[in-house]
Amino acid sequence: MNKCTDSDVQEMLPDLLHRALAEGERLRVEEHLATCESCQEDLDVLRTVKSAAVFAPSIDVDRVVRQIPPYRTIVPAVERPARTRVVSWLVAASLAIVVLGGGSVLLQSNGSPASNSPRYQQLPNRIAKAPEATKPGSTEPVVVPMAVVQPSIAPHPHALALAADADGLSDGSLVQLMNDMDGFDALPGSELDPVISVDSGDSL
Amino acid sequence: MTPSPEGRPQETDMELINRWRAGDGRAATRLVGRHSQALARFAASAGEREGIEELVQDTFVRAFASLDSFRGASTLRTWLFTIERRLMLDRRRAERRSRETVPVEETDHVSEYGALDGLIAEEAQERVRKSLDALSPTQREVFTLRVQQGLSYKEIAEVVGSTEGAARVHYHNAIKTVKEFLKDE
Repeated sequence: MNKCTDSDVQEMLPDLLHRALAEGERLRVEEHLATCESCQEDLDVLRTVKSAAVFAPSIDVDRVVRQIPPYRTIVPAVERPARTRVVSWLVAASLAIVVLGGGSVLLQSNGSPASNSPRYQQLPNRIAKAPEATKPGSTEPVVVPMAVVQPSIAPHPHALALAADADGLSDGSLVQLMNDMDGFDALPGSELDPVISVDSGDSL
Repeated sequence: MTPSPEGRPQETDMELINRWRAGDGRAATRLVGRHSQALARFAASAGEREGIEELVQDTFVRAFASLDSFRGASTLRTWLFTIERRLMLDRRRAERRSRETVPVEETDHVSEYGALDGLIAEEAQERVRKSLDALSPTQREVFTLRVQQGLSYKEIAEVVGSTEGAARVHYHNAIKTVKEFLKDE
């Protein structure tokens, strides 16, 4: 017996059994079956399998239906209206903005009490004098008076950042500044301090 | 609506689902009556021997509980087969676990054998059952869904969680095995 090469027909054989083919397809398959022994054999096998379906118990429909809960008791927990979901998102977004905004305000306000302490109130005045040497047109080295930076007062570490902006200082001013810095107290520990706002520009 | 054999217009599954949603309990009875035997046959063909009625019942309970997720992209029957197949897999996993912890006793073999003898009455059924037992679980599912239930490859792929191409290959391998088995018998 020759093996069938028409895979389309082979695949349609179960549909022929279930009468699921369109008229044209059915005619084509039946025409093919008239001459193809292989497909005839396949169809016999399929008929045997279909008719000898493995025994299955009959199902008590009423018993099954009694176990099904009514629709109303299932639905509410499953889906919420789209509008409710949108409102929930808006509330969540608003809360997030309030929390983040409040957090930043708190962070800033945490820094401000320190800046009110007498120790820091003196800093801008004292350090503000050094950059005067950077003013354009000033050729004479400016000697910073000793009273400006008093070694007995420990400056905040961020105050040192001002010294980093000392490109325009003359050699003499730098030496003086460094000497003064030698007298500073040791820097605080590893814990970061809040940022100190220092006037830049006009006050310098 | 399609005409019933008696000439009355027969409601589609979607129409019955909508009626049930509207509170008509008889629609559920119609749906269960329409599909329960096919589910029972599929379970039996897939190798389930006991508790088929409970399996069908669980399938319907789950299906009705999540009916809102059924959009009608496939037929209701295909969707039900998919749910039933998952339940069968869960059940088999649970059985495997219990077999690993509880030793199988001799009486279990005897009762299983007796139950099988009772289930398969005809010689032809016995031969078909043996030939189906020679298939891999997936081949058996694909083959019975195609031959006994008349599902398309697309629907079968959906039920077994595979592709149409893979379903075709499983079907062709299965019919070859079954053919050889029945020829040798």
